[in-house]
Parts: sequence; C-alpha cells; structure tokens
Amino acid sequence: MENKDIILSAKDVEIEFSLRGKKLKAIRKCSLDIYRGETLAIVGESGSGKSVFTKSFIGMLDSNGYITNGEIMCDGRDIAKFKTEKEWRTLRGKKISMVMQDPMTSLNPLKKIGVQIKEAIELHRGVKGAEAKDIAIEMLRKVGIPEPERRYNQYPHEFSGGMRQRVVIAIAVSCNPEILICDEPTTALDVTIQAQILDLIRKLKEELNMTVIYITHDLGVVANVADRVAVMYAGQIVEYGLAEEIFFDAWHPYTWALLSALPQLGEKGEELEAIEGTPPNLFVEIKGDAFAPRNKRALAIDFVKEPPFFDITETHKAKTWYLDPRCPKFERPSNIVNYREIIRRKVY
Amino acid sequence: MVKYTLKRLLHGIITVFIIATVVFLLMRMLPTDYFFTEEQLMKFTDQQKEAALNAAGLLDPITEQLGRFYLNTVKGDFGISRRLQAGQPVVKVIGQKVAISTKLGVVALSISLVLGVIMGIIQTVKKDKIPDHIGTAYTVFVNSVPHLVSYSLILAFGSRVLNFPAIYSSRSHTILSCVLPVTCLCLTSIAGYGLWTRRYMVDELNKDYIKLAKVKGLSSRQIMVKHILKNAFVPLAQYLPLSFLETIGGSLLVERFFSVPGMGPLLTDAINRYDLNVVQTLVIFYAVIGVLGVFLGDILMMIIDPRIKLADREGVR
Repeated sequence: MENKDIILSAKDVEIEFSLRGKKLKAIRKCSLDIYRGETLAIVGESGSGKSVFTKSFIGMLDSNGYITNGEIMCDGRDIAKFKTEKEWRTLRGKKISMVMQDPMTSLNPLKKIGVQIKEAIELHRGVKGAEAKDIAIEMLRKVGIPEPERRYNQYPHEFSGGMRQRVVIAIAVSCNPEILICDEPTTALDVTIQAQILDLIRKLKEELNMTVIYITHDLGVVANVADRVAVMYAGQIVEYGLAEEIFFDAWHPYTWALLSALPQLGEKGEELEAIEGTPPNLFVEIKGDAFAPRNKRALAIDFVKEPPFFDITETHKAKTWYLDPRCPKFERPSNIVNYREIIRRKVY
Repeated sequence: MVKYTLKRLLHGIITVFIIATVVFLLMRMLPTDYFFTEEQLMKFTDQQKEAALNAAGLLDPITEQLGRFYLNTVKGDFGISRRLQAGQPVVKVIGQKVAISTKLGVVALSISLVLGVIMGIIQTVKKDKIPDHIGTAYTVFVNSVPHLVSYSLILAFGSRVLNFPAIYSSRSHTILSCVLPVTCLCLTSIAGYGLWTRRYMVDELNKDYIKLAKVKGLSSRQIMVKHILKNAFVPLAQYLPLSFLETIGGSLLVERFFSVPGMGPLLTDAINRYDLNVVQTLVIFYAVIGVLGVFLGDILMMIIDPRIKLADREGVR
C-alpha cells in the first residue's frame, strides 16, 4: 500500500447478541485498520462474524446486538459509542454506505427506482426536485443501465436481478460515500452476472475514490478484487495481509483449510477437500485457538492458550502458535507451500 | 385492464346468477303453504288456495317459474313480502332498513379505520414497549370476551353514567341514540384494523429494503412515512371495499341489542317466518355485495401496487 492513510480503525471490538436470555459473543476482540482507497475482503464461513463485524461500522446490527467493548474510530469519532439514530445518520449514506446481498428484496417494490435514488440524493446533496432527478439519471447511466430516462420511471419488478443490483449500487454510491461495504454483493446473482457487478464496483471505486470492503465467502471473488484480505473464524480475525500473501504464504491453519477447499485445486475425480467438524458454539467461552478442535495438526498449546498475532511481514499477520519461535519445527501442508505452482498448473 | 375488468364482471354476474338459481329452486321445494300470509292460511279453503296459487303461477312447471323469476329479477321486481310486512314490495321492506344500517355502518367503519390504523402505527413505532402491549391487550380482550358481555358493559356505562339513549330512535335524538350502537360496532373493528395494520407494518419493517433505506441515511420517521405505511396498506386495502359494502348488511347482534330497525336481523327473521321472497332477495343481495366487494378490492390493489397486473398480457410494458 503506497497510501497508509487510515480511514477507519477498529480496535478490540466485541459484539454480543442476546438471544432468548442467553448471551452470544459474535465478535471477540477484533482489530482492523482500513486504509483509504484500498479494497479489503473479509472472508470466513457462515457465522464467522464477518457480516456482524462490518455492519457495526454503520450501525446496522440487529436490535438485539450491541458493541460491548472496543472502539471504532472514524473521522476522529468513536462510532462504537454511537447510540442514537441521529448520530448514525451523520455517517450513513454520506461517509459509509452499503450494498446488500439480495437485490430482489433490497428495493421498495412500490416505489419507482428513480424516486428511490432521488431520495438519497435529496437527503445528502442539498438539491431537490428536477436537479436531483438529473443526478439520479446520471447515476443510473453510471452503473450501466441503458435508457436511464425511461428506466427512471420503472418499478423494481421490471428489472432483472443483475439490473436491480446495479440500481442498489447506484443508491449506495449516489452520495459519494468514502467507504462502500459490499455484503456478498454477488451471492444472489447468476454466475454470468457476478463478474459484471464486480467490474462495476471496481470501476466506481476508481471513479469516486472509494474504499471498498467486501464481505464474502467466495475466494474467487477475493482473488479478483481484493488488495488486502482478512480471514475471520468464530468471531475473530485469524490472519490478514495483502491478497498475495494470504493466497501464497498463508500461515493460519484455518486459512489453509479454506484454500485447500477451493474446487480449482482438487484433483479431477477425487473428493473435494472439506473442513471437518463445525464452528464452535459461541454461547460458551472459547478456550485456546477456536479452530484447534477441527485442526488435525493442532498443537497441545492450541487447546489451552489463545495465540497472539505474530508478524510475518509488515503487512501480514497471523494468529497462530505455529509462528512462535518456540514452536517445534514443522512443515506447512505441501499444497499450501506449492499453492502458486498448483494454481499456475491448474488454472492457466 | 379494461378486458380484465369486463371478464371479472362477467364472472361475477355468472356467480350471482348461479346463486340466484339455486336459492330460487330451494325455496320452491318448500310446501306451498308458505305462499300465504298467516291470516290467509287460516281463512282460505282448499279451492281458494289452489286458485290463488294458480293465479300467482306457482303451479306452473318449474322451468316456466324460473324463467319468470329471472325476468322479474332483471326488471328489479322482487315480489312482495307476505309475512314480515304483508303486501309490501320486498324492495321497499329492505330499502328502509338498508338506509339505517348503512348509515350506522359507514360511520362506524370510518371511525374504526382511522383509529385502528393509528393504533397499529403507534404499536409498530413503539413495538415491544408499553403502548404496544396496551394495544395488544385491547385486541385480545375484545376478541376473547363474548361480544354480548362487552356490549352490555358499553350499554351500562353509556346509558347510566354518560346518559346516552339505550335504544335507537328514529324520531328524537337520532344522532345521540346512534352513539352506543356505533361504539359497539367500532369496538371490534378497531381491534381488527389495529391488529392487521401492526402485523403488516412489522412485516415490512423487517424487509431488506428498509435496511437499504436506513443505510441511505433516512430517519425512522421518514422510513415509516415514505416506505412502510403505503406498503403495509396494500394488503389492508384489498378488503376495504368489501368491508364498506358489508356495512349495508348491518350487524345482527348490535342491531338486536339496541333495537335498531336495520338489516342485521332481517334475514333470520325472514327465514323464521318463511317470508320466501324476502329470503330469496336478501341472498341475491348479499351475493352481489360479496362479488362486487372482492372485485373492487382487486381493482383497488391494482391501482396502488404496480406489481399487480391482473390483465392477461396486453402490451403491458
């Protein structure tokens, strides 16, 4: 990263949900700096907390969830302390915006899409009426919707899934947000459309100078778009670094497991790699490394003591005892060490 | 749209036609004694009865009678009432009562709609807080306590403490005497509209597009007014025309309770007294209301919800 300007910095964030009287610890001490202008991907399996963690940046946690600890600094303010809607509204739309997973349900079915875009523009840009409408049409054109003047007056059901996601993106970026959170923006879309949407987001990022955070479990998407990757497991970030470093020099056993499970790496005719077991129960206190019970090569200490982050490079850190100098000598799985080789052979 | 409307109207007419036919045939299966007023039944000899039946065409083959019935119905001639108000045309018997029931019903429904929707909105905004619980308690109370009990409470309180007339009167203080019946009518329907408004609004509240609206930076109030209210109203709107038309039929219980000379008790009275023409006419009348109400509901929905194009594709784009 040539530019080290931190735009948002989360430190030791803890998030709890109260469910039927019980407390669920969804995020356990997560820290992450987000740099201006970068594209960051947060990956992890369902329930790893990637969505919850990111939603807390914009105050979109479900009503039974709250930040119990830590701080999230943005523009010199600690947004983890935000309580009222009024405080959040100083941020939403203008500073941070979000594209959600399912374009089929993200738009109000009874309102013309133009009006829904205009709504955001009137809210933040201080223009009204015809002027706002012109900007909205311009936005539609920008996200690649043909005949924007005519489309402006149509309802969501007259659009296909991909087109709707374009409209959602137009709404999200219509107020020039500095940070755009994309919560699995392509999961609900047809494979052929996915690449188009990713391209669109990339193009808009350049044009509008945005910082983009992808939440995804699709490593293919990550490889395509991300500058940096953070891997989450059981409510914690376990490894982060430049995309290159994560793909070709991974150190956390969970990252290995994720990489090995990529279908592109399997041998034809052989069963795909899968991670055995299930993620831990977040209702109970987790001891040691949360991934240890599923890790065939876990060390004895993994079950007792939680590992700290170890630096691999200046940008690359992993939370595993393997990196401790006291760790007995061991070899990483061969497919991880030779990842670059395998990819080159398989994909190209 | 036009084509669809015409098609639906045709379906409606066919439905009413079938109902009318069935009812007419069922009525004709009853003994012909019911053709006479009670008085005539005592006095007439058998020959006189037969002559009278013959004159009225009731001994003709059933197909001929049916034909005549269709013709008269289309002309708006529903025959005369023989028992309830002997000798009066059925239309006139029903007409007087319709006016009273509709007047009470429309007033009550309008009040309940406004109050019920407001109650639902407050419950949604204050979801899981005290106002919401009060609203729910009211709804549960009204629906679980037998209506006669709650009506008696209203009657006792209204007439004893507040001095409203306990019985409907068309001569003096008509408006004042309507207060208690209207209150009783509102009691249940406010609860109904409140319940459904809350339910539909809470449904909308949890949808994704509300999240996007929030992310945009809209305030809760703006989201409530600009997004949720209209969307929640769509499913409610579908039943509005029917509800309004149904007020014509009056409420059996309330009208009995306050001696309102309305439509409510008319059908049961007519059946009890074997006033066949009145029964027959009322059934057709209610069928028309039902068919028309549902039809208008669909049209209304189509107007507010752009997704609903009930038409067979005719160049809609």
